Amino acid sequence: MAVSLFWYMVEFARFEWIKKFLFAKTAPLITPAHFRGFPEPTGKACQHALFCMMVCPAPGAIEVLHEGDGWKPKIHKGHCIRCGLCVEACPNGVLRSGRVLETMWDQGTSLLFSFRIAIDPDLCMGCGNCCTACPVNKLADAQMGAGGHSATDEVIMRVQGGDILVLHEEKCTGCKTCEQSCPNDAIRIARILEGIQQPIQKPSPEAGP
Amino acid sequence: MSILQNVKDLVRSRSIHVSYVDVGSCNGCDIEVLACLAPRYDIEQYGIYVHNNPREADVLLVVGAFTPGWEEKLKGLWNKIPEPKAAIAIGNCPISGCVFDRRGSYVDPPVAKHIPIAAEVPGCPPRPTEILQAILSIRDSVFAEWEVKRK
Repeated sequence: MAVSLFWYMVEFARFEWIKKFLFAKTAPLITPAHFRGFPEPTGKACQHALFCMMVCPAPGAIEVLHEGDGWKPKIHKGHCIRCGLCVEACPNGVLRSGRVLETMWDQGTSLLFSFRIAIDPDLCMGCGNCCTACPVNKLADAQMGAGGHSATDEVIMRVQGGDILVLHEEKCTGCKTCEQSCPNDAIRIARILEGIQQPIQKPSPEAGP
Repeated sequence: MSILQNVKDLVRSRSIHVSYVDVGSCNGCDIEVLACLAPRYDIEQYGIYVHNNPREADVLLVVGAFTPGWEEKLKGLWNKIPEPKAAIAIGNCPISGCVFDRRGSYVDPPVAKHIPIAAEVPGCPPRPTEILQAILSIRDSVFAEWEVKRK
């Protein structure tokens, strides 16, 4: 017992062992630049399209907050899974992460949001709450009051003859304010996300930048 | 501070024993902890050794959103670790529940409700470098001068 303990201690007293224990060379802990990190702001102004929040698969990972004059996306670490979808979905290039943006430019890919308005005619009672709640309608026709009647054709939807009439589906921004204001759950907004790729136009050598 | 304390700090900073516990993860973070052991990151070159016995550990790596099966067990496991000790939450799940924390799910995050968490490594999954950095960053605050701080 005493002999084996002695040789055990001798092993730890060896110069090479102590040197290795205290001065082992360790590799630097560097993450390559092309790895997707948490999305960072590029400095471009956020236009409050909220596509980042719509596309985000993780609950509570991204919020667009009011800051100063404008809006700013805020990433919540501990919720974000670094998938990079918010970077791809943003129409204004507000966020960047790894080389997601560069790959999109190289390959001509983008994510396109479109919105469909579906109204159940059996449930809809033509109260016009959705028309008055809609923020796009408010911009198009500031005069629209309770009842949802409007004289202009520029609104997304209006009440006409006791029924709801959708005029400009393409103007919808997918905020779903109308869904929340509907007392009957008659209106439903579908957010449709398509991945599209456009053919890349190689710049000809003569053409300047 | 005595010379003995200096020697203790020096040895402890080069010899951290880690135990990891999976409290209901999807195995993504487990794989990243495993990648720390592999030659590319090689956790042992930093003097960090992995045990699966909490009685031999200094640092507990907690992986996963907290499932009901761990309700009584995690606390007991934490109490088995000898002082000085620290727990690190690896990944989004022990911090927030991430994609599992939805209406109707049985997980009970954050893990900080159940045991004290010294450091959190966000990411789904976090990278091996980030896990290593977290372990290395808490070693001074938890283990250095532990006998002095205890008094």
